[in-house]
Amino acid sequence: MFGPIASLSQLNRADGSASYKCPATGYSILGAVNAPIELPARRDALKPEEATVEVFVKPGTTTAGVGERYVEGILRSVLGKIVLGREKGFPRRGVVITLAIVGGENVERGDSYLTILPALLHAALLAMISASVPLSMTFSATLLGVTKSGDIVRDPSPTAAKAAVSLHVFAFSSKNHLLLNESEGRFEFDTWELVRERALSICQGVISSDGDVTMDEGTTSASLNGFIRETVEDQVYSDYAYKLDSI
Amino acid sequence: MSKEAQLSIAERDFILEALRENVRLDGRQPDDYRPLNISFGEEYGHVKLQLGKTNIIVRISAEVTKPREDRPFDGLFNINLELSAMGSPAWENGRTNDIEAYATNTLDRIIRHSNALDTESLCILKGVSCWSIRADVHIIDYDGNITDAACIAIMAGLQHFRRPDAVVRDGRVIVYGVEQRVPVPLNITHKPLSVTFHTFNDSKHVIVDATLKEEQAAEGDLVIGINSAGDVCYLSKYAGAPADAMAIVNKTNVAWEKVKEINAAVDKVLQADLAKRAKIGMADESRAENDRLVQIE
Amino acid sequence: MSAPLVLLPSDEVPQDHLPTNSSNPLRLGPGLRILSQPSSKGTNHVLTATQAGLLTTDAKRNTVSILSFPNRRYIPTVNDFVIAQIHHSSVDFFHCMVTPHTAHALLGQLSFEGASKKTRPMLKQGELVYARVQSVGVGAGAEVELTCVNPATGKADGGLGPLTGGMVFDVSTGMAARLIRASSSSAENTDAIEGLVVLSELGKKLESLGGFEIAVGRNGKVWVDCSNAAESAVKVTIAIGRCLQETDQQNLHPHDQKKLVTKILRDMKLVS
Repeated sequence: MFGPIASLSQLNRADGSASYKCPATGYSILGAVNAPIELPARRDALKPEEATVEVFVKPGTTTAGVGERYVEGILRSVLGKIVLGREKGFPRRGVVITLAIVGGENVERGDSYLTILPALLHAALLAMISASVPLSMTFSATLLGVTKSGDIVRDPSPTAAKAAVSLHVFAFSSKNHLLLNESEGRFEFDTWELVRERALSICQGVISSDGDVTMDEGTTSASLNGFIRETVEDQVYSDYAYKLDSI
Repeated sequence: MSKEAQLSIAERDFILEALRENVRLDGRQPDDYRPLNISFGEEYGHVKLQLGKTNIIVRISAEVTKPREDRPFDGLFNINLELSAMGSPAWENGRTNDIEAYATNTLDRIIRHSNALDTESLCILKGVSCWSIRADVHIIDYDGNITDAACIAIMAGLQHFRRPDAVVRDGRVIVYGVEQRVPVPLNITHKPLSVTFHTFNDSKHVIVDATLKEEQAAEGDLVIGINSAGDVCYLSKYAGAPADAMAIVNKTNVAWEKVKEINAAVDKVLQADLAKRAKIGMADESRAENDRLVQIE
Repeated sequence: MSAPLVLLPSDEVPQDHLPTNSSNPLRLGPGLRILSQPSSKGTNHVLTATQAGLLTTDAKRNTVSILSFPNRRYIPTVNDFVIAQIHHSSVDFFHCMVTPHTAHALLGQLSFEGASKKTRPMLKQGELVYARVQSVGVGAGAEVELTCVNPATGKADGGLGPLTGGMVFDVSTGMAARLIRASSSSAENTDAIEGLVVLSELGKKLESLGGFEIAVGRNGKVWVDCSNAAESAVKVTIAIGRCLQETDQQNLHPHDQKKLVTKILRDMKLVS
């Protein structure tokens, strides 16, 4: 299995942008952030002391519908929690996040939107970092499916996700806080606890509860948080090559 | 704010002054396009196009549906262009604006109304089922001239796209998966493209492929839709300063040259991509054979 | 000099990366905040990053800040030089655009050198001024105020005031900051200040054509005027704009900047 591929700041007009591709699920997301900007049409909805986070998800080959509105709600609440909306220049302004699904299958109407949620979250986070939106923390997210036989599968493909008994998306902050927990299907609490532990080890690459270092991620042994960090570092190193060369 | 920031007086004056000396801000000649870069994604009909700093993704998709009552022999074809804040901070998400309506209309007229995609070939069973082809245009970076860029990308996408094969057996429609039968290319009748001109200094200076700043400084525009054979299928002069009739005739010839050039360039990348796919396909097949051998053992 | 350090939001600034000069209080630049945690031994203060970027310190001025991505949107900061565009005027103020799609900044009708009710400049919509950010206000929805005079001297220091003629080019905010840093650092070592040689190279090559005047706004705008170059003014201006924009977009190495200047000047038929 190949790990995700991501890069930062490839668009010109947007204040920040990022692309994120997850080969396991096939989704490829392009994210753009404009911030801080004026939201004239939403003046009544703006919070007086803080920035307003707006999320727009644009499907690749259909018109946006109920599913997109639903996932936008989830994204808005997670991302809104980590944006420091009181920093200079941000109160009463908007942080406009636009996510286009540029590769992979469409999420059919009525199908679970959880399969694409981690990719959307990562693209949005990286685009916000690229736009230098002040954040209290970073995070990483993962999708896990539980099959009929009780196996926990990481990043199931859309077909595998349809066959799964339950689907779970977890997001953990860089400080190990649980930021998001969305589950669908039937599952026992014990299963959920196993899934959560597995998700934490995927995101953080931490030592599991029995003291063993989890090695079962094979080639993608690096944690997702580590992946986010490397992606950002690569961009900083290339942007500031002129400074680093001289040191 | 749903409008691009206005051009400053200094910028407008300078652009006009420079055109009087026949130079443009990026050093181009009046009849030069910006560097055009086209590539294809993994899926059929997934086009990434860069025209200077204007950046577009087009995705073509197909589904089986019921034909319209009044056109039982025709399939459906739609072009969907929705501007989002990704392309420009001036575009608000979920709100239509003038550029969107104008560009959609132009693309519809040039590609759909000229029947570039033969919709009759999309019919599967008369009055019962047909293919619905959809082109989704995503403007991800906007620096002027989205009509020409989108037109090139859609036409490239239609030529690149392969739909699943479908047959009618005993009055039932069977759609084969991509693994079961080789998918089928679409039937393209001709390859029209749009060429947008902008006029300056009382129509004394006319340029193609304007950047956003040039568009803002222009006094009028003229769109010509033309195919490689030289058939004009669209001509519009919506607003702005009047253009001279002779200029339009002259510019039609320029447009024809441009369309031939661009179509040749698109053909080249298209052939290269298909050749690459054929190679990978063959490699996959031999690998599949190896797998089978292994199983026998 | 310690190794370069890239921080992500919520990362703590290691103590050994802070300037050790203790005579001045430590000043925090953009991208950092101080978090206080009460603990058994009193209160713990930690510096954490709020933006991703390269940690930089200035031992002389005892500052520490994060250099974040150059493409970001400009946020007005007191004392920055900006190039603002007049949007409209009211009785007391010119309402100016500093960055597109944000609230207008205010520039007093009398905030110009030697301006009085009778002598103040009559600026029209779309005209440009080189101004300094005077205040950004406190709290939410505060207005940004600009001025075209140095409050200490009452003079238009550093070329403040209306910009007439010429052309403005858009560059990234990171590039604008680099250009300003490069020009403010003393010219004792002329090679590659902030990795930029493009302007000095252009200066050398264009001297014979009359040279050029330049003003850099932190909001990502560069104003160029070459009216001394007579009939080649337009071409010289375009050449300068292209050199700056390409250096910015392709993040060129000093060596490649020199090549670019030669290539573009030849391209524009300015030098043989």
